[in-house]
Amino acid sequence: MASLDIANVKKAYGDVEVIRDVSIGVPDGAFVVLVGPSGCGKSTLLRMIAGLEDISGGTISIGGKVINEVEPKNRDIAMVFQNYALYPHMTIAENMGFSLRLAGRPKPEIAQRVEDAARILGLSDYLGRYPKQLSGGQRQRVAMGRAIVRNPQVFLFDEPLSNLDAKLRVQMRAELKELHARLKTTMIYVTHDQIEAMTMADFIVVMRDGVVEQMGAPLALYDTPSNLFVAGFIGSPAMNQLPGRLVADENGSRFVGAGDIAWPLETSIRTDRPVTLGIRPEHLVPAPDGQGVPARIKLIEQTGSETYVIAHFGETPIVALFRQRLPLAIGDTISLTLAPGAAHLFDTETGQRLTA
Amino acid sequence: MLKRRRWIFSLVAILPVLAIFAYVRVYPIGEILRLSLHKWDILSREKPFIGLANFQELFGDSLFRTALFNTSIIAFGVLIITLPLALVLAALIHHRTRSRFASFYETTIFIPHVVSLVPAAMAWKWIFDARLGPLNAVLSVFGIPPQAWLFDPVLSIVSIIVLCSWQALGFAVLIYLVGFKNLPKSLFEASKLDGASGIQQFWFVAVPLLKPITLYVSVATLVSAFNVYAQVYVLASDAQGAPGRQVRVLVLDMLENTFRNYRVGYAASEAVVLLVIVLILTAIQFSLLREKGTR
Repeated sequence: MASLDIANVKKAYGDVEVIRDVSIGVPDGAFVVLVGPSGCGKSTLLRMIAGLEDISGGTISIGGKVINEVEPKNRDIAMVFQNYALYPHMTIAENMGFSLRLAGRPKPEIAQRVEDAARILGLSDYLGRYPKQLSGGQRQRVAMGRAIVRNPQVFLFDEPLSNLDAKLRVQMRAELKELHARLKTTMIYVTHDQIEAMTMADFIVVMRDGVVEQMGAPLALYDTPSNLFVAGFIGSPAMNQLPGRLVADENGSRFVGAGDIAWPLETSIRTDRPVTLGIRPEHLVPAPDGQGVPARIKLIEQTGSETYVIAHFGETPIVALFRQRLPLAIGDTISLTLAPGAAHLFDTETGQRLTA
Repeated sequence: MLKRRRWIFSLVAILPVLAIFAYVRVYPIGEILRLSLHKWDILSREKPFIGLANFQELFGDSLFRTALFNTSIIAFGVLIITLPLALVLAALIHHRTRSRFASFYETTIFIPHVVSLVPAAMAWKWIFDARLGPLNAVLSVFGIPPQAWLFDPVLSIVSIIVLCSWQALGFAVLIYLVGFKNLPKSLFEASKLDGASGIQQFWFVAVPLLKPITLYVSVATLVSAFNVYAQVYVLASDAQGAPGRQVRVLVLDMLENTFRNYRVGYAASEAVVLLVIVLILTAIQFSLLREKGTR
């Protein structure tokens, strides 16, 4: 186990900078998820930690020791690849024990450590098989087993669940979390799926275009996104973003936007600049007629436990989420208001969160 | 109805190709098999059926046995040299893929495969020449006395193996390079993280994964080496200058039996023996190199 420190790290391919001055401190034993859209540099950063990509600037340290120039095999890390990268010509046991074999460990020790890892992952019955004889989920477990066997200081995961079907993904998510609880080893996990990030992480790092947009605990990111990108990226369905203005008079503050939106807000923020109101779908609540803002329902999606309503305020589309079942139909008008204290305000031009 | 029409259309579409293939590939093989059981002197109308008499005679024929022996030594010699060398060269070239000389390396190695057999063999004849050849000149620098490369019975076979390997190498390297380029990159990254050095990656990851390529290359190399003829004909003349006699090979023996001795049936039986040998070797190679995990 060790802490991981990324300080002012840069990565450039020629003139193209893909990682720009990224600094992340990962405490010992934490489960950190790097999340962001494709091309944001999260996988590159992970590969730099692994030693598969050179570091153009800054330092990466594991357990206080700078590893910029350390060979990948001497970094004491293990990586799980998106496509598992299992050796197809080796049995599961050989796959898992390959690193120990290369390190010249005695055979009984290799066998013992492979068996231990296999037991943790429920692979004991498959040790003699070849990767192609296993299902996707089992292969995924073998890839993790190969990492566990090495007993590394840091685990790196590069979108490990993206090749699995939805149901298996949920199951493996729980298993990984459980594994982390058991091993208590530092884990860095890369994904583009914010649900994975939210459910698994102790600590989320949201990246875009090679820059860290925000980092923090999952719920902190959800509750107080620091800019419009994070607000839109974290949470599913995404946060509604309504452009408008903030009007303050003797009656208090109001948000006024397109489509006759006018909601009273309890905020001490004062600004003349254009603002964007961020409102999570579950924070739009039905109001008695005449009190909220009327919206015309365009689509209703039922998941059983929840109802998603896509409606329009004039021309502005919004998504609302109701946990109760309401007698709604497409074409109806529903009057919506904001749950108290649920509004997020952003500067429309800079995209930054406005604070009092 | 539609299915039937489509089926007929498919059949008609591939029929010309099938017909050509049958005429130039299948028919000659059948004809060889038939001829091997007959006695025929090219000219006469009579082709009496003589059963396996040709084959019985073959095994008592010392010229045939010498030819079979020489051909086998050459074929396996070429295989043993070409296969590992091509694998290593391909690995080195692949390793240097990003170098701007990469295409130069590939071309250099492949050129011998495209050069016509006879001029290439003539060039090598000069290299191996006992008095004027550069090979002996180089050896003499190290104090090794000049060797009669093309006249010594053992060295002449060695020379032929070298020439044939030189020609086979380009093709083998090319095929291996394609193989290397298709290996998943993540496996090499994974093995790097597992602590494998470059050589260990080559040995533990690349070589086993290239087994299907090795199978193809070894079959192709062996089959073409069993058909060695022009190289021997140009390179190795006997003491009186008769081409091809110094190292007798199967194809030469067949040619002589057919067009010098007018024993077509007998030569056909030699061809059948060659065919059987190649088939058996191919079957052995397939079983040796079949991928694990598919069984």
